[in-house]
Amino acid sequence: MAGKLLRSLRRCGRLMALYAKMDLAWLCRDTKFALTCIFTELVSYLAGLSGIFLLAARFDGVGELSAGEVLFMLAYAAMVAGVFQLFFSANNVGHISRRIGRGQLDHMLIQPLPLHTQLMTEGFLPFTGSSALLTGTVLLCVAASRLGLPVSLGWLTRLLGSLAVTTGMCLGYSYLASSLAFWFPVQAEEIATDALELLDGFATYPLTGMPLALQTLMLTAVPAGLMAWFPAMNLLGRAPLGWPQTYPVLFTIFLGLLAGFCFRKGMMYYVRKGIHRYIRGGFRM
Amino acid sequence: MHTILWACRRGAAMAAMPARGAANGGVLPLLPRYLLKALRILPMLFLWEVLLQEGAHVDMTLNQARSYTVLGTALSGILTIMTPASGWNYEGKLLNLFLRPMGVLRQLTCQTLGGWLPEFPGFSLPVIGIAALLGVPLLPASGWFFPSLLLCVSLGFAVDYLFVCLAIRMQGASYQVQSIRAALAAILSGSVIPFAAMPELLGNALAYQPFGSLAAAPLAIFTGLAPDPAWTVFIQMLWNAVLWPLALFCFSHSQERMVSYGG
Repeated sequence: MAGKLLRSLRRCGRLMALYAKMDLAWLCRDTKFALTCIFTELVSYLAGLSGIFLLAARFDGVGELSAGEVLFMLAYAAMVAGVFQLFFSANNVGHISRRIGRGQLDHMLIQPLPLHTQLMTEGFLPFTGSSALLTGTVLLCVAASRLGLPVSLGWLTRLLGSLAVTTGMCLGYSYLASSLAFWFPVQAEEIATDALELLDGFATYPLTGMPLALQTLMLTAVPAGLMAWFPAMNLLGRAPLGWPQTYPVLFTIFLGLLAGFCFRKGMMYYVRKGIHRYIRGGFRM
Repeated sequence: MHTILWACRRGAAMAAMPARGAANGGVLPLLPRYLLKALRILPMLFLWEVLLQEGAHVDMTLNQARSYTVLGTALSGILTIMTPASGWNYEGKLLNLFLRPMGVLRQLTCQTLGGWLPEFPGFSLPVIGIAALLGVPLLPASGWFFPSLLLCVSLGFAVDYLFVCLAIRMQGASYQVQSIRAALAAILSGSVIPFAAMPELLGNALAYQPFGSLAAAPLAIFTGLAPDPAWTVFIQMLWNAVLWPLALFCFSHSQERMVSYGG
């Protein structure tokens, strides 16, 4: 059992090295274009975060949060987006509804690799997909130094664990929504984008001081509060609403199980019916 | 006179195409997107409450902030114009516009406005109506709002066509140009956060750059946040006078560089 797991991990490592090599090759082949993409991502993330931060700067914080704490939360949001981009942005791994809806899952099923291994490795973009993570890391360092946080090895481990849980939650939400594409390939082709945009759109709002109903909504049905607000407050040692610090982990496990169940159901349907979107000329209907 | 009428009829026919396209599946498929858009207002409204009820020293009342957010969301489709040109250039659809007996920019303008038409009764009016029922004041503070809105829409097209030229020059980077444009517009146009709520020096400076004459200008006039509406409209006219000739010049020089892959 342990040997099999080790072999599987080694294979994942080899595949990720391969994708990293391809990413570097793309960067070197058209450096101007690649740098444009990196710069664009950087500006987009900074612009997306700056609105709430400018408000926090003008009003000297938001509710009970100081401007530094708001910056910490925004930095965490950028890091989550960065980790997601780093590991799941290539080949629409994070936006799997596109591949399902286009009938491209067939391409994966004929590979001599299990589906989960492909999904775990294909999205890796270490060179061109790291701009958001770098931005977030720099902002987090600035916020931590402004707040005088006692950064220790234990705290850094908690940060990394928290980032992994939040990224897993995003992925679970995307895959849960994407399962619909098995049944409605045309209509739901872009549903992963919509689901992730919904989370991203609300992720930067500091929910402290807002009505309990809105906070509850943002921590359950539309879990945007788990993207940055809840985990950032957790890391600052102030778990909000008196909810347990382990809530994000429990929610991610629940979401993962639900997404896995729906995805498997969808796959069963897909295996029987298939998705035929391409006509003979190669165009998609 | 006959020529003008004929041009109007052609423009209306062109605008009707995307309007029908967007609504031909009925209202139901459009509802989820409209609901999501409407949902985005909620945290912003509560954020204003949290910020402004703490007695912050800012020249803006809670009602002004609420009106700004509601109207900014309800009219978002025309306050920051985004034509489909960049995407169409990438997909190859833009070439079709050259085959029709009508100017390319005129077609894009008509089609963009037509695409927004179903959104007006389906999203904008309900949002404004519900907000008004909930007590958000939605009457313009000044009549200058209407010319300002027209100038904002007009300038939105000029800015968009300049970005289209950039997308053409950058060939395959259409998505990147679109996303950087959307990011810049979100922060520099004041479509989400009024300049009055930004740090003072920055807010004053942003009002004079071209993006500041887009959403921020009509919304500030509507809510009474613009100290001198006539001056704001004058700035908008100035940017229109500068950017439209520039957009036309750049577009006429970019057409030869257009590369579309299609498929």
